[in-house]
Amino acid sequence: MSSGIARSFSWGVVAAGLAFGAGVSRDAGAAQELRIGFLAPTTGIFAQVGKDMTNGFQLYLDEVKGDFAGAKVKFIVEDEEGKPPVGVRKVEKLIRQDKVHMFIGGLLASTGYALAPVSTRLKTVYVASIPAADDLTQRDSAKFPYLVRTGWTSSQPNHPFGEWACEQGYKRIAAIAADYAFGHEVVGGFQKAFEACGGRIIQKIWPPLGTIDFGPFLPAIKKDADAIFTLMVGPMSLQFPKQLASAGIKKPVLGGGTSYDEFVLPSMGDEVIGHVSALQYSAALETPQNAAFVKKYRGKYGKVPSYYSESNYTTAQMIHEVMKRTKGKWPGAQQFVKLLASVKLETARGPVRLDEMKNPVHNVYIRKVERKKLHGYDKDELWNSVIKTYPNVGQFWKFGKNEFLKQPVYSRDFPPCKHCE
Amino acid sequence: MKDGHAPRRKLLIVGAALLAVLVITPFSGSYVIVLVTHALIFAILAMSLDILLGYTGLPSLGQAAYLGMGGYLTAILATRYQFGLDWTFWVVVALGMLIGAATAAFFGLFAIRATGVYFLMITLALGMCVWGLAYRWNSVTGGDNGIVLPPRPDFGIQLADDLTFFYVVFGFFLASLVMMTILVGSPFGRSLVGIRENELRMRILGYNTWLHKYIAFIIAGAFGGLAGVLWAHAHGLVSPEDVILATSVDALLMVVLGGPGTLVGGALGAGIVVALREYLSTLVPWWQYVLGGVYVLTILYLPGGLMSIPERVRRWRAQSRGAGVEKSLESASH
Amino acid sequence: MATSNRRRGGGPVLELKGLCKCFGGLNAVQAVDLKIFPGDRKAIIGPNGAGKTTLFNVITGVLPATSGQALLFGVNITGWPSHRRTALGMARTFQVTSLFPKLTVLDNVLLAITGLRWSKFVMWRPLSSYRDVHEKARRLLESAGYWDRRDVEVRNLSHGERRQVEIVLGLASDPKLLLLDEPAAGLASGESREMAQFLKRLDPELAILLIEHDMDVVFDVVDRISVLHFGEVVEEGTTEEIRASERVQEIYLGTG
Repeated sequence: MSSGIARSFSWGVVAAGLAFGAGVSRDAGAAQELRIGFLAPTTGIFAQVGKDMTNGFQLYLDEVKGDFAGAKVKFIVEDEEGKPPVGVRKVEKLIRQDKVHMFIGGLLASTGYALAPVSTRLKTVYVASIPAADDLTQRDSAKFPYLVRTGWTSSQPNHPFGEWACEQGYKRIAAIAADYAFGHEVVGGFQKAFEACGGRIIQKIWPPLGTIDFGPFLPAIKKDADAIFTLMVGPMSLQFPKQLASAGIKKPVLGGGTSYDEFVLPSMGDEVIGHVSALQYSAALETPQNAAFVKKYRGKYGKVPSYYSESNYTTAQMIHEVMKRTKGKWPGAQQFVKLLASVKLETARGPVRLDEMKNPVHNVYIRKVERKKLHGYDKDELWNSVIKTYPNVGQFWKFGKNEFLKQPVYSRDFPPCKHCE
Repeated sequence: MKDGHAPRRKLLIVGAALLAVLVITPFSGSYVIVLVTHALIFAILAMSLDILLGYTGLPSLGQAAYLGMGGYLTAILATRYQFGLDWTFWVVVALGMLIGAATAAFFGLFAIRATGVYFLMITLALGMCVWGLAYRWNSVTGGDNGIVLPPRPDFGIQLADDLTFFYVVFGFFLASLVMMTILVGSPFGRSLVGIRENELRMRILGYNTWLHKYIAFIIAGAFGGLAGVLWAHAHGLVSPEDVILATSVDALLMVVLGGPGTLVGGALGAGIVVALREYLSTLVPWWQYVLGGVYVLTILYLPGGLMSIPERVRRWRAQSRGAGVEKSLESASH
Repeated sequence: MATSNRRRGGGPVLELKGLCKCFGGLNAVQAVDLKIFPGDRKAIIGPNGAGKTTLFNVITGVLPATSGQALLFGVNITGWPSHRRTALGMARTFQVTSLFPKLTVLDNVLLAITGLRWSKFVMWRPLSSYRDVHEKARRLLESAGYWDRRDVEVRNLSHGERRQVEIVLGLASDPKLLLLDEPAAGLASGESREMAQFLKRLDPELAILLIEHDMDVVFDVVDRISVLHFGEVVEEGTTEEIRASERVQEIYLGTG
């Protein structure tokens, strides 16, 4: 053992660190500054997604030169590493030290669940632009008065998708999806709607998150299924279609929206052509507003925007809309939430408004992967061509809010697999 | 153990440093209070690991498991049974330590047989088991969503207030430090040092070294469980991410950085790692490399950790002084 | 001395009955019979690889015996772990010095003393508060001449000193039987002589079994010698008998 000089020295360092922290944190700003904290994974396996998120918001800020109706936007990005506890720590930092007016983002559904209570505890606005966990704006909505969602619920696009599957004449569908809450909710939404119009989910296969070798799972897929419904994330979404093709399975493939997101599409091969998915956005949307957005984004960042980019771009646009109404003054957290929830806007994804539980009502697009030229680019590329639009879809679809909220949240076991063989 | 003066001075300096933390923190920003609270909780975990690594010579890579057990127990009791949100908080503290100890008692049956790198691997694997449990046992642990806790306990003292919570955590930290300090100075604690230095010899001297290691393992588990209870309330969230290997590695590196076999070294390491991780990560994207660099340099050039610096300085001074004397003698003889 | 004890009718401290240790096909120790009485000073000699250290390891429980029995004070200890044998009154030193190098001389001895007490499980009071333990440490160290240097870390002692401290550690458990594995190994001749004197100063009631190559030390310290060759006891007798034995000469000259 050694004596105390090191101890006193090192504690001195700690103390100095503390004092430093104290100094920095006292920076309550002028009235005309709007401090926005932004959480995205900028390191780790989700770093690229995080970049898409940040770029989306940044693009809008650059367009308006960081000025929201007179309020100067101070945009502070923190790395949440795709881990809920890290997200919580960073939010603590953003609120306590940077004194942000609101914080935005988080990638995973689980991060959304972790951040929402912090917004309640520290009475700070949380705009969930990406986390899609259903209950944030459903059964748990009352717990989170400072939460507004500008993204979507996991099941939202999959309700109309289920109905669309019925229209195609599919009767029996096998589901294979990543085994975690987001996967459960996506499959759950699809199953609920598909079975409501007479279809049958005949099996559910849950490969663990991070599976790259689907060898053990593919042979289990029932030969007499009419189609396959799938949801994969990250490296899984690249591997699954490849292995499905090489296993010689030629059934139609339906997928949760993120499976074919523009973020992964350029890395995919022709094996995904013809796969159909549903989401509230597609870069292939041929509206003037979206065409302009895609071109601006691609011009600046060299790639097609994904829904991760669009959702945060639109979020910035909606916040700007609120600040226009308050003439650049921060209206206070509660008032801001109220104003944001009442925004109605024409955006890149189409018309957006929020329902009374502060979740968007927007179009859901059924999209088919095609190789073609689009938006005036001269190369053949993979795009999510829109083949059908369900306008103004809310999170409860046609089930009715009260009825819907009576059922438990979608999970591995809900809805129960009545037709599993 | 050597002589009376050094320990007293050491005690004085540690006491002064702790007092400084206690006095300065409340006047710092609210974020600093949160950070210091986090550091103190991790200090308890790091010290518990130091009992194994520094004193017994058992490099455990599974310490996060006990943090997880304590944390999940707290969260499950709080959300399902609304238990532990009033004075029963103290019961949960006891239960948290108990579940940490029980888990360690179970894991120890497998781990204690092994030594060195095999011990490392087994504890790593057992730690992963707990992670797997947290991640896969959806109905109990909430899977990857984890469990969000209700507001912190209120038993006349409102822990929801961050400063109050800091004081309480500081109290737990101090109590842990005192208890573990007494432990390592006790006959049992000294037997652990003997096992670290020469286990075979200890066996010949009449020690059932397996039993001593096993008991140390359980004690470390209990303090890990305590850290878990506090961690759950500090974050308001338990998540499989708390139980991942990285948490165990962090704890290990805190001990190595501060100086194994010193207890306060672990606390110091916890302070530095938390400060670096939370501050640096908000400043630069390459903070992980800095942290990694600090670790590598410590292991290569400062195997005794930061706590060994004064000893090194003293030795260096003594050496240069010795050289000076020789020189003067030489010149005198000419 | 040994004979007088035998006449007094005390049972043997240690008795080996057909003790064997095989490693695969190699019989490292073969059917060794041995009796040691209180106060006996006995050496086991033999060329390198004769199985001397293996025999020690089997006696102390570091290695399990393949067959045969070991009795300590008439108790069959064949399957016992080391620490229980120690508790019964057996202590040993190692061929390669086995101490706690980073601890002080005093700490080394304290560990040895608490090894046999229940207080080794006490966690709530400092070791330094156990007066009786410290008294005993002081006695042991004083009689060995190390009390002045109790705060020196063992790694800073000379090799010869470390060997002596190791024997002090062995004595801390108040053993009736002390097994010494080459106490003079690696010592300069002056140090060897010191070691021999040190051993002769020990309690005459203590039975000592030692392995040693340094014949000066052996003839100086012990009364009886067993010669081990390829794991078997080939000769047994007083120092004079062994010195005169042709068989032993052959073994050591390699003609046997």
